[in-house]
Amino acid sequence: MALPRPFTRGRRDTSGNRMWVWLMLPGTLWMTGFLIASLVLVAVLAVGTTDELGNPRFGFDLAGVRALADPAYTEVMARSLGYALLTCLICLLIAYPVAYTIALHGGRYKHALIAAIVVPFFANYLVRMYGWSVVLSDDGPVLRTLRAVGLADGGTKILNSGLGVVAGLVYGFVVFMIIPLYAALERLDVSLIEAGRDLYGGPVRTFFFVTLPATRQGAAAGLVLVFLPAMGDFVSAQLMGGPDQIMIGNLIQDKFFQGQNWPLGSALTMLLMLVLLIGMLGYLRRTRKDEAEARR
Amino acid sequence: MSPEAIPPTRRAVLRAGACGLLGAAAGGCGFMPAKTPDADQLAPVRARVDGDLVYFNWADFVDPSVFKGFEKEYGVKVVQSNFDSMEGMVAKLNAGNRYDIVFPTAKWAQRLVRGGRLRRIDRSQLDNAQAVFGTYDYFADPWYDPGSAHTVPFTAYKTGIGWRRDRIGDLTDSWRDLWSNRAKGKVFLLDDRDEVLGMGALALGLDVSTGDSGDLDRITSLLGTLRPRLRGFSSDSYNNLLNGNALIQQAWSGDMAAMLNQAENPDVFGFQAPKEGTAINSDCYAIPWNAPHPGTAMLFIDYMLRPENVKKNIEYIGYPMPVAGTEKIYADLVEPFPECLVTEADLKADLFFRNGGRAAEEARDAAWTHVKAG
Repeated sequence: MALPRPFTRGRRDTSGNRMWVWLMLPGTLWMTGFLIASLVLVAVLAVGTTDELGNPRFGFDLAGVRALADPAYTEVMARSLGYALLTCLICLLIAYPVAYTIALHGGRYKHALIAAIVVPFFANYLVRMYGWSVVLSDDGPVLRTLRAVGLADGGTKILNSGLGVVAGLVYGFVVFMIIPLYAALERLDVSLIEAGRDLYGGPVRTFFFVTLPATRQGAAAGLVLVFLPAMGDFVSAQLMGGPDQIMIGNLIQDKFFQGQNWPLGSALTMLLMLVLLIGMLGYLRRTRKDEAEARR
Repeated sequence: MSPEAIPPTRRAVLRAGACGLLGAAAGGCGFMPAKTPDADQLAPVRARVDGDLVYFNWADFVDPSVFKGFEKEYGVKVVQSNFDSMEGMVAKLNAGNRYDIVFPTAKWAQRLVRGGRLRRIDRSQLDNAQAVFGTYDYFADPWYDPGSAHTVPFTAYKTGIGWRRDRIGDLTDSWRDLWSNRAKGKVFLLDDRDEVLGMGALALGLDVSTGDSGDLDRITSLLGTLRPRLRGFSSDSYNNLLNGNALIQQAWSGDMAAMLNQAENPDVFGFQAPKEGTAINSDCYAIPWNAPHPGTAMLFIDYMLRPENVKKNIEYIGYPMPVAGTEKIYADLVEPFPECLVTEADLKADLFFRNGGRAAEEARDAAWTHVKAG
């Protein structure tokens, strides 16, 4: 490839740009075709209708959107939001020490340790959750052992509780928090920490005033990566939850399958996306502020 | 970047985007109000080999050795794919995927017949049809397909209560057993709108398919009293009972029969079909309007109806099949749970889930959301 020649404005320069157009083409097609267009479809179906066979049809009918006013949806949405935020917090508390230890004290085992964290995630999330639901069942190995040593009685259960659902979400998505944090800590200039210590900062003060702010962007990226899938998840609530742990993802799935009410399902999806978008905007504002500070 | 270069870039990218949107719009055409196909105009086909069999069913619903036998006898391949829900199956059919044979439940068979999506089946082409229609009057003219013009019944099953006899003893043969204090907190309902609302309707003496808002309110408030006692909604009845999460579970008879095959000691389990009535369901063989090899599909239906193959399938999946001469096989299989049997009287009680109009379906959907989400 030719070196960039910023001072000439000849034909070569334009053709160089043409190449970028061609390179961008597959990605643009892919994104518009499969992401934006499918979003448009969902948005249009939200005001659509169904035929007598229950098949979704384009049209204009606000029944799906009006049905959102039902307090059941607000309640489930609020619960999902709570679970997702709690999941983010727990993931952060688990992931930070893990990423910190690997990045700063992993030495030559660093890459092996990161691989060890990532490898279990090669197996499908659904399959692993099915596994957990068997392991944690009432007559499963965990509770049987706990009962045998007297730490649980016949009424103790792990599955079908809010704790079970959040544990499932944390287990499913914690790796999305570890990786960006690890990347941020990896890049961290260790001399900054040393400088903090030289300026008479104790280990705790140095951590909170030097290390943590320096890796804030990694944490923010991790929070977004965990929050988005956790909020829309339905597997954990399905397999680890009970009737009081239904999440918005379960309801949306129901509308598209058993309910055969695609318009309402689409309207619920749009509502969920709105909530996610608000979270995303918060993240974008934060990073823009950080960038502005960095430029100063 | 040079200023002249910008316009073509943006234009090209926009153009690419427009192409993508057009492509997706073409994909969305499936949602346009379209003229329905009318398979009734197609003449029934003869049973003869006209290609490999493209088979579409629930996973594990036919003994693999039956497929092998069919392939060997007719020199064709069985190209298998599976669906995980009726909705998924119909969505694929509507999207234009082509299969030779599908297995809709009664309610969905009616929808497909009404939508003109199933070919007529000429019974005289099937050597073994008499064993079904000659004995089981009910299926000679079922509600979902008048005169069984487009379908041949495959299995029939009912919904009852499975429970752990070793933990809570005997029950009272009623749907009210779900409220039993002995099982409080360890009760599961099927994760199925019709089954749960139908159970509430039966307990109250209402129509299982009711779409009436007054009826549905009564059902929702009755189920509201069951909700705090529930552990969850799950159709994995077999595993829930086995691993102790469930002491009582609303369950399909076929799943309970399959469990008998696996359990070391069947005495620890029980299955009852409550006296208030049990929802009945059936599914059937059907040939879609766009099947590429309908002749092979006819041969396959006939092959599946041979007594030796019915026997293999009954033993493999645990669901009874309405084929004369195979009743004993099923009765032997479910000997510990005789209530799994589906008799002609069960069928005539007619507690099938029917298709409602749009308003009724929406009312049922809203009721289900309230039962499930509280």
